[in-house]
Amino acid sequence: MTRAAPSGSQLAAALKAFAGAVGAANVFSAPDDQVAYSDHYSPDETRHQPAAAVAPATVEEVQAIVRLANQHKVPLWPISRGKNFGYGGAAPVLKGSVVLDLTRMKKIEVDPDNGTVLVEPGVGFFDLYDYLQKNRIPLWLSVPGNSWGSVAGNALDRGVGYTPYGDHSARICGMEVVLPDGDVVRTGMGAMNGSSTWQLYRNGFGPSWDQMFCQSNFGIVTKLGLWLMPEPEAVLGVDYEFDKPDDLAWVIDTIMPLRKEGIIQQSPSIGNWLRSASVMTTRDQWTKDKGPLGEDVVTAIRKRFNIGWWSVQIRFYGPIEIAQASLNVLTKAMNGKPVLLAKPAKWMRGDPPEGSPFSGVPITFPLANANWYGGRGGHMGYSPVLPPKGDLALDQFKRTYDLYRRYGIDYHASFALGERSVTNVNQILFDRDDPAMMQRVDQFFHALVADAKAKGYAEYRTHIEYMDLVASTYDFNGGALRRLNEKVKDALDPNGIVAPGKSGIWPASMRETRA
Amino acid sequence: MSGTMRTALLALALCGAFAGCGARSEQGNAAASNAETGNGTQVKNATGGGLMQDRSFKSPEEALFVEKCGMCHRQMGMGTVILARRVDPKEAMLEQRSDLTESFVIQAARSGIGNMPRIQRGEVSDVQLATIARYLGKGRK
Repeated sequence: MTRAAPSGSQLAAALKAFAGAVGAANVFSAPDDQVAYSDHYSPDETRHQPAAAVAPATVEEVQAIVRLANQHKVPLWPISRGKNFGYGGAAPVLKGSVVLDLTRMKKIEVDPDNGTVLVEPGVGFFDLYDYLQKNRIPLWLSVPGNSWGSVAGNALDRGVGYTPYGDHSARICGMEVVLPDGDVVRTGMGAMNGSSTWQLYRNGFGPSWDQMFCQSNFGIVTKLGLWLMPEPEAVLGVDYEFDKPDDLAWVIDTIMPLRKEGIIQQSPSIGNWLRSASVMTTRDQWTKDKGPLGEDVVTAIRKRFNIGWWSVQIRFYGPIEIAQASLNVLTKAMNGKPVLLAKPAKWMRGDPPEGSPFSGVPITFPLANANWYGGRGGHMGYSPVLPPKGDLALDQFKRTYDLYRRYGIDYHASFALGERSVTNVNQILFDRDDPAMMQRVDQFFHALVADAKAKGYAEYRTHIEYMDLVASTYDFNGGALRRLNEKVKDALDPNGIVAPGKSGIWPASMRETRA
Repeated sequence: MSGTMRTALLALALCGAFAGCGARSEQGNAAASNAETGNGTQVKNATGGGLMQDRSFKSPEEALFVEKCGMCHRQMGMGTVILARRVDPKEAMLEQRSDLTESFVIQAARSGIGNMPRIQRGEVSDVQLATIARYLGKGRK
């Protein structure tokens, strides 16, 4: 049982064959290319370093490469744009895989009347935003906090945004997928030749497969359908700041009923003071002490930027009458509560576009927070899912806050309210030039996963380094889910050439040596 | 603090709300000015006054820059925010710089610099990068 990708003559023959399929100019195998496709946020980039990358431009070229990879038994690691930073970037789980870089596939087909788009994997949020602006199509994106990445890739990794369409994988409608044997399939209504409802009706007939290709290694998505939000007449809302850590509990219990009822249709995210501050300043401006931040420092930063210990931004979308009525319900619910600051927000159709993901406008600077510690910064996501109860969230906060302090990392987290759940998004910030810190980050991550597991919580998404670890926490009936995933894997991909190790799913030949 | 600066800072604070869902970042630290210094220029550049960044262009070279680099290196860009901590905030956006050479642009993109990750050949080809470097270097080799 080797868990190693082929090298030497076997790899060289495969790369030569790939060059025959897509042109030598689109096969990248120089040492600096191997480094370029590694994980920039890893303390040891060689752990997940690919052997090369190949960049097809069409679905036919993807099929050709997949067939050649089968012949040569060389594993591929498909990426859309490779900007999934915090989760591994472009890098494969299995060192020595060949990155299948789909960045060059950039077709966009918008249906303005029905509010849908069909994108290829290389289309970034800025590309799609520019397309809609240029063609004056009044549809809004839902974008993640950093919008450098791929529209399709983000949805496939179950990324989130801030509008009512923020649960991206839930808005997927129809895909084109190259299967591990090189066959190409269209899901949903797209399974019919000449269908005009591929992006309009999700289910199709019989089993529905779209979600099977999210966070999986069962196929390579070459086109993805997505619903887009019609531009609303109004966006109304409030930005709230709260003074005390313990406020988290009542805030969740106050907002959650409105979320469950559908009055709040976007996912409000309650973030701590560092989430706000780390974009605006760096740690060394406030203290030279490397130890845990004192309350005096926290208070000084909060005072300087006029921010709460927690903050949340809530928005309502639609005709002004409806948005206003919904806002009234929120205001009434918050009435009499110990709010530190409430700042109204309003955008009306005809106003210039806000530079804000609340209006579906792509931006990148929130992730300037990676510079918090100075040096070559980075971050990693840790996101367990909780029941939507204030006391449980407060307990989660207190336990993890203690762990942050124990491992010497500054607390940076938020609680995002889903329709029936709360996701505790932790963005672990670090300085890659501090080896001692990087060692602590790894130990810290294991401690966090173990802490959540003890409470019966699991993560919804994770970094390539920890996919086996997180998969192992899904342990009902001796890991029955992983057995199912791997049965499917073996059936679709007997040679194990598509993304071995993704989400803890390994092909038969690599299965015995669990990390 | 001026009214403009306060507005811009609030816009930045709000944008902190979006950290946490898959990210990248840009250039490093140095003996830098704090975010609120520099007459608010950094903050204004960074936030574009809270508006969408300028995506316009006047030449094919500029169009390529906007497509490949603008998201980080124009208004609201992570590169702009972090560079303003280590260069004159008035030159935080790469297109305002007067010291970039073509070879430096290529080196920074391919090797990464500070917090900026390496730009892969699949995303920006050597030919495209040379075009962008000419645009930013303005003839400086």
